[in-house]
Amino acid sequence: MPDVQETKILDARGLLCPMPVVKAAKEMRSLDDGDILKILATDRGSIADFPAWAEDTGNELLEWHEEGDGVLVFYMRKVEEED
Amino acid sequence: MIPQAVRAAAAAGAVILDMRPPKPFATEHVPGAVNFQFNRADLADRAELSLPTSATYIVHAEPEPIAKVAVDLLTKAGFTVAGYLEGGLKGWKATGFPTATLPLMNVDELKDGLDTFRVIDTREGFEFRYGHIPGSEVLEWTEPWDKFEGVDDQKPLALVCGDQVRSSFVASIMQRAGKDARLVFGGMVDWLERGYPVEKTPKVKQQT
Amino acid sequence: MIMKQFRHEPLAQASYLLGCPRAKEAVIVDPIEDLGTDFYVLEAADLGLSIVGVYETHVHADYVSCARELAEMNGVPHYLHESAQGLVTYDFTPIKDGETIEIGGIRLEAIHTPGHTPEHTSFLVTDTARSSDPWFVLTGDALFVGDVGRPDLLLGDQAVDVMDETARAETLYRSVTEKLFTLPDYVEVYPGHYGGSTCGGVNMSGKAVSTIAFEKQFNLAMRQPNAKAFGKFVHETAKPFPENFERIKSYNLGLISREELKGAGV
Repeated sequence: MPDVQETKILDARGLLCPMPVVKAAKEMRSLDDGDILKILATDRGSIADFPAWAEDTGNELLEWHEEGDGVLVFYMRKVEEED
Repeated sequence: MIPQAVRAAAAAGAVILDMRPPKPFATEHVPGAVNFQFNRADLADRAELSLPTSATYIVHAEPEPIAKVAVDLLTKAGFTVAGYLEGGLKGWKATGFPTATLPLMNVDELKDGLDTFRVIDTREGFEFRYGHIPGSEVLEWTEPWDKFEGVDDQKPLALVCGDQVRSSFVASIMQRAGKDARLVFGGMVDWLERGYPVEKTPKVKQQT
Repeated sequence: MIMKQFRHEPLAQASYLLGCPRAKEAVIVDPIEDLGTDFYVLEAADLGLSIVGVYETHVHADYVSCARELAEMNGVPHYLHESAQGLVTYDFTPIKDGETIEIGGIRLEAIHTPGHTPEHTSFLVTDTARSSDPWFVLTGDALFVGDVGRPDLLLGDQAVDVMDETARAETLYRSVTEKLFTLPDYVEVYPGHYGGSTCGGVNMSGKAVSTIAFEKQFNLAMRQPNAKAFGKFVHETAKPFPENFERIKSYNLGLISREELKGAGV
């Protein structure tokens, strides 16, 4: 297990591409800088989507792994953009 | 709804939502139907993002238990649903009504004919920016339908997404509007798997 | 490949969905009426898969099958071992021992494993996207985790009950030793029942997954020195018969109607 402690968990299991990211983006808006969102997903498109989304938004994908029952787990840290 | 009733409602402007997976949809469907794939977990959410609330819908899903659940989910989400096509495609054809197909192509065919197609990527902006087919343009699946219906098809349109769920949705709306649209089956997953080139677009910072 | 095991706890029964995410096709193995046709149809649809076939390891005696209805609803074949011809009254698509069927990247190989019933068939599954070597075997009621399927569940129709209990036990012993235990050790075992089911004896595990190697080493029934001792052990460790098993089996064979079954309070 990673030694990161999530602030909030988003259960996006069963959702079709791109809904896990769409829902995660919504959740992230309610979080503060440095908070960590843990996301559970089953859509395999998520493996490509979360890194892409992190790069695009400046948030940080800390870690991801696959659990035995096909569930993908992502840890995303919120990074407030400085303008 | 029996096929005759579905046909009459569609002629009066109702939108038939074909909720089968893209492959059977492309192979044969009720003319004018829009391909919107079923699942229970986020059907309502996807509908809210991409279906106009002003339209009346008719569900086509097979077998029938799926159609019943779909009608229920869409109605609960606030959409006007007239019913579902009873007897499915088999019943439709037995009535003597015609069917339509959506042309399919794979990524190899797309790569070989890249100059001959207008390649439209229906994924989210961030996915597109991260890596897309050179020369393709982004038109997100959640855009208003008139953008799809008014698209210039002087060059035949090739619709792309991650696999083929969102691209089939947009392609079917374009086809419904009489556009020359085809579906790139396998999408970016196959494109990347073949090691074909991708382009990145840097994000333009939005002014606040 | 997508593999889902559906546990139905009241009867400790397991049914399966095997799906190819590329071909967008799925098959269902041993569907149970208690979950119902809609359950399987919606599970497949949630994954964007179309059901292209319904398989049964055998004609069940302890639960009502919905394989016929599920196959008809989807307009797809209902597969049973060819020896079920003459046992069941309805049409099905016969499969032979050693026959293979491809569903996208999934390869199913039928292994005739009689004993629990004469037509009993296990399905060896290979994910060809991964390897040409097999991954797991659906053992139905031939081999459970820690135990085997009881060979003493007589059919509703005595005329088709061709073997006595001892002969069946020996057949089952040979099926497991010669056809399942000859598979590679790493092959996973996914049974049709787990602990709590009356289709096996008292030694069934509540776990519904194992491997060939583990069962070779720890399956108490199969640890008996020979077929005769095996038959005796299975008989002595058996549980009471499943409730209404004659009526249920008669229905699953197509000998009585749904109404007659319901009339019997099943």
